[in-house]
Amino acid sequence: MEKVTIIIDGREVEGIKDQSVLDVARENGIPIPALCYHPEVSTSGGSCRVCLVEAHQNERMRLVTSCNYPVRAGLEIRTDTDLVRRIRKGVLELLLARVPDSEVIRDMARDYGVGEPRFFKDEGEDNRYKCIACGLCTLVCEEVVGVCAISMLNRSREKAPGTPYHKASNACIGCGACVYVCPTSAISMKDEGDTRTIWGKQFTMIRCSVCGNPYIPDAQVDWIVKTTGKDKAFFEKCPDHR
Amino acid sequence: MEAIQSFEQLEQYRERLKASYNKDLPTVMICFGTGCQANGARDVADAFRHEIEEQGLKVGVDIGFKTTGCHGYCENGPLVVLRPRDILYLRVAPKDVPEIVEKSIKQGEIIERLAYKDVNTKEIIAQYHTIPFYAHQKRIALRNIGNIDPASIEDYLLHDGYKGLAKALTLDPDAIISEVEASGLRGRGGGGFPTGSKWRSCKAVPSDVHYVMCNGDEGDPGAFMDRSIMEGDPHSVIEGMIIGAYAIGASQGYIYVRDEYPLAVKNLLSAIGSARERGFLGRNILGTDFDFDIKISRGGGAFVCGESSALMRSLEGKVGEPRAKYIRSVEKGLYDKPSVLNNVETWNNVPEIILKGSKWYAGFGTKGSKGTKVFSLVGKVNNTGLVEVPMGITIRDLVDKIGGGVLGGKAFKAVQTGGPSGGCIPKALADLPIDFDSLTEAGSMMGSGGIIVMDEETCMVDVAKYFIGFLVEESCGKCTPCRDGLPRMLSILTAITEGKGKEGDIDTLEELCEVLSYGALCGLGTSAANPVLSTIKYFREEYDAHILDRKCPAGVCKALITYRIDPDACTGCTLCAKKCPQECISGERKQTHIIDETKCIRCGVCKDVCNFEAVKVE
Repeated sequence: MEKVTIIIDGREVEGIKDQSVLDVARENGIPIPALCYHPEVSTSGGSCRVCLVEAHQNERMRLVTSCNYPVRAGLEIRTDTDLVRRIRKGVLELLLARVPDSEVIRDMARDYGVGEPRFFKDEGEDNRYKCIACGLCTLVCEEVVGVCAISMLNRSREKAPGTPYHKASNACIGCGACVYVCPTSAISMKDEGDTRTIWGKQFTMIRCSVCGNPYIPDAQVDWIVKTTGKDKAFFEKCPDHR
Repeated sequence: MEAIQSFEQLEQYRERLKASYNKDLPTVMICFGTGCQANGARDVADAFRHEIEEQGLKVGVDIGFKTTGCHGYCENGPLVVLRPRDILYLRVAPKDVPEIVEKSIKQGEIIERLAYKDVNTKEIIAQYHTIPFYAHQKRIALRNIGNIDPASIEDYLLHDGYKGLAKALTLDPDAIISEVEASGLRGRGGGGFPTGSKWRSCKAVPSDVHYVMCNGDEGDPGAFMDRSIMEGDPHSVIEGMIIGAYAIGASQGYIYVRDEYPLAVKNLLSAIGSARERGFLGRNILGTDFDFDIKISRGGGAFVCGESSALMRSLEGKVGEPRAKYIRSVEKGLYDKPSVLNNVETWNNVPEIILKGSKWYAGFGTKGSKGTKVFSLVGKVNNTGLVEVPMGITIRDLVDKIGGGVLGGKAFKAVQTGGPSGGCIPKALADLPIDFDSLTEAGSMMGSGGIIVMDEETCMVDVAKYFIGFLVEESCGKCTPCRDGLPRMLSILTAITEGKGKEGDIDTLEELCEVLSYGALCGLGTSAANPVLSTIKYFREEYDAHILDRKCPAGVCKALITYRIDPDACTGCTLCAKKCPQECISGERKQTHIIDETKCIRCGVCKDVCNFEAVKVE
């Protein structure tokens, strides 16, 4: 792996060629806000636009998303200029107009001096009004879980994650990874007794043989056994009692 | 027919075709472009076939007959050209056919009723190339369109087809790239990236596979040059791609065409088939050790799929959504392999550049924009259609000389260039040369070459609203600024046109524009601010009039105008009162009429029907 040195906010830091600027910055304790980024996803979608930074290279400056901008020799990054703050503020104001009830977005926007958006707000009850359509859930489902149960449907403002034709998906294993990574907690998952409901599909939960608590959907166990060859008996106990 | 296996065989075949071709034979050529077919060209063709048979004429002996691609003058279709006398007939109907055969073909007479009549001078011009619409054009990209039968590879060969390829295959790939670089050819799809250097960067990336692709996902409303080329001269695109593939070392190419272009798909498929048969595609092309083939991929018609990274994802069978292009597609493009994607018109220029040389090509155009460009000239102008002119022609020349001036003698106000994310350029800049850099500097862009002419009755706030509305629908929804910013811009613009604008709206719009220009993911989003920024820049007073005075100076925005009848001009003919759908015009015969503003819906029917220009908009 080829090491390269770049400059972030005036500091020389070292990274690996083609590693993301955001990774290198965070490794070096330089904070950059981000929503749709997750370290387990190999190439970030760069859709939320919150992690924009100034990239200076070959005598040219442009704003780039640090979550997927590759580190190359000769690169200089500035994470906190007037321009960066102004555009980030604009992006957060638009996100707040989209999901006015999201605490996460509200707090982030406040840090950039946005109290109330100047624009019309999207308001409603269901989870669409918390979702920022960043697509992280679908990337994790595809790349980390490996099942592709959900993808981004429709376009323009209608764009949202979902199962094909909004029907219960055969591919979904009920693992809930999408729920855990969602930056705005917009995906609903309900565990009631032995049943988990997610994306309009119900899963039977397996109970731990020691504590008796339901802790994993049977479909997820089947998936892990199928893809890794692990012994099914391993899942009789929950992680706390293994 | 067997595959042609050497350069000599190709030239021998071409000579045989030329020897058997009688260029003096009276020939009827019917435009079979999509526009003319929609206007009834098929019936006209049938009528000619019938008439030729009736008169006992033999096709190929007594008379030539063929259908061709689009001449670009679509509003006047169906078009019929008579060779060798170079006569153009407009709006030909089946009933005109016997007279054309009898008078024009047999006796050489001109039927004035079917010829072009200049709207300004009233002069009748029958000669194709002296009609102002054509006289000022320089056709390189459109060289064959309208002359050849797109379904006939022989016709293409007769017009020096695949000669550029034969020449290219004798050259070193690097020499071809240098030639394309020296020609100054820049991407015709809108970006204007230098084609030669794109090829060079791609070739330099080591890989087992390289790809070439053709972007035929033309989506700008009103632009149809790519469709015309694919329909009317499909071999020129294929030939360009073969040359490009040889230059960069690709053995597989793809043409991405939107499925709304069925005729383009059909003609391309047939052309690829006949090119394969003759040995221009497939293994050992023209007896060399170079292999290359082309597949067609049909797009579903999403506007954003014309964006390069979205196009490649769509080609791969994934959702057509742009990705960050921080690693360029010449490095990692289709299937993560080094790829060259060029537009239809770019590919189609390549064979001519190789054949006639970069010097010849660079002799046209301006310092930074070489060659010619096909524009689709539409809007409030007398002659509309596809025109090809040298880069650097001024807006004024394009509108006045080729377009024949503004429709109805109204005042010229602006042109909108570059498609929905282009900008508006005002009359004051009418002498601006049309080239990549001048347009960008003026706050617009070349885009795919759409030019919409606007007259004094066009409201620039309304124009901005229209284009932002289009982009709201076509945004893929992936990134925040485009997905959530454009609808907010649209709502502000809508409020302004409805008389609900607030002081500070212009500043807010400009701030949103900045978030889009800097913050959006792909070219669609970053250029989406242009319609708003350019209209604010050049027509700020119109925004102010809407916001501060609650007036629409162009008389377009319904909430801000009133219709009034001028008592001095009104003759009391009662026509407006009869036509008013609201029945809100009153008045006795031969007395001045009055509009009841409380009931008026500002539909403008009264103004349209009034023969005395008595209805005024305020």
